[in-house]
Amino acid sequence: MRTRRPALDNRYAMLTAFGQDRPGIVAALAEGLYHLGCNIEDTCMTRLRDEFAMMLLVRLPAGLAPDQLPDRLTPKTGPLRLTLLSREVHPKTATDTSTTQAPNLMLSVYGADRPGIVAAVARVVANHGGNITDLNTRVIGSPDRPVYAMVLEIHLAGGAQSESFQAALESLKPTLGVDITLRPIESVQL
Amino acid sequence: MAVRPIRLYPDPILKRPTAPVCLTDPALPDLIQDLLDTLEASPGVALAAPQIGYPVRMIVVDVTRKKGSHGHGLVVLTNPRVLYQECPRIVREGCLSVPDYTGNVRRFEQTVVEGTAPDGRVVILTTSGLEAQAYQHEIDHLEGTLFLDRLDSLSTDLFRRRGR
Repeated sequence: MRTRRPALDNRYAMLTAFGQDRPGIVAALAEGLYHLGCNIEDTCMTRLRDEFAMMLLVRLPAGLAPDQLPDRLTPKTGPLRLTLLSREVHPKTATDTSTTQAPNLMLSVYGADRPGIVAAVARVVANHGGNITDLNTRVIGSPDRPVYAMVLEIHLAGGAQSESFQAALESLKPTLGVDITLRPIESVQL
Repeated sequence: MAVRPIRLYPDPILKRPTAPVCLTDPALPDLIQDLLDTLEASPGVALAAPQIGYPVRMIVVDVTRKKGSHGHGLVVLTNPRVLYQECPRIVREGCLSVPDYTGNVRRFEQTVVEGTAPDGRVVILTTSGLEAQAYQHEIDHLEGTLFLDRLDSLSTDLFRRRGR
């Protein structure tokens, strides 16, 4: 079914939405954007415990400014009590789909829960010029013996060959009391 | 013969089941050469005939094109099928026909494949690892199945397990 839609502008917005999870959030957001004449480009959503979070890269129709998005979506999303934020993304950034920053390393870090694990590991990655492209942490284990588990995907020039990176990670083990495994991401082009 | 352009999704040929190959078809040698030439010119380790525009059941596989990979070397198979597979695991793969995208799919570590070589010999190959993955991926192409149809998870996520 095709309805008459306003022409798309060469303007993009990054819309973030978060709030308590419940069925229908994605539907309401997507319908709201559709009715405004927006085009949803790339999106990502997840849940942290019972909280919903979503990022949408949206191409805007002529006449709609990025900062108008949250208010204009309220009729659709209001009952869901979401927090909506929107900011403009440069068209060059928004349309860059190059894969030069594809992750080439996977890092697993886990150990007894204690403050500072994420900070220390992320600092080592940053100091070696690595870029964290995906990150997930969870507190697992039993309530009396919580275990912190963290998985990162990293883009690092030189990959697993970087000996100083490996050495720096190794030195974190006794300091943080964690186990760390670094391995290359094997992705096969078939 | 020639390096053929690799068909990209949404080319409909990639979603259609293909026809069996007849070994007496006079067009067969050209098709084989096109597949070999196109594989040679590609960054991949295997190709299926529909990926270069021929909707027939033929594949070429050579995982030794990837540094450090072992297997049976260059194999051309017509009418291949999986006889047996075991040890499912999640692996990340991409497809020459779906550029710039990789995903986690469930493939079998060990796969026994049967097919007919161009000279008419029936070939049975016991494959493992990357080679097994390549045969599964290419045989999928002959059914009009892409890795996108087999995605198992959105991203690497150790913690969300089914049935919890």
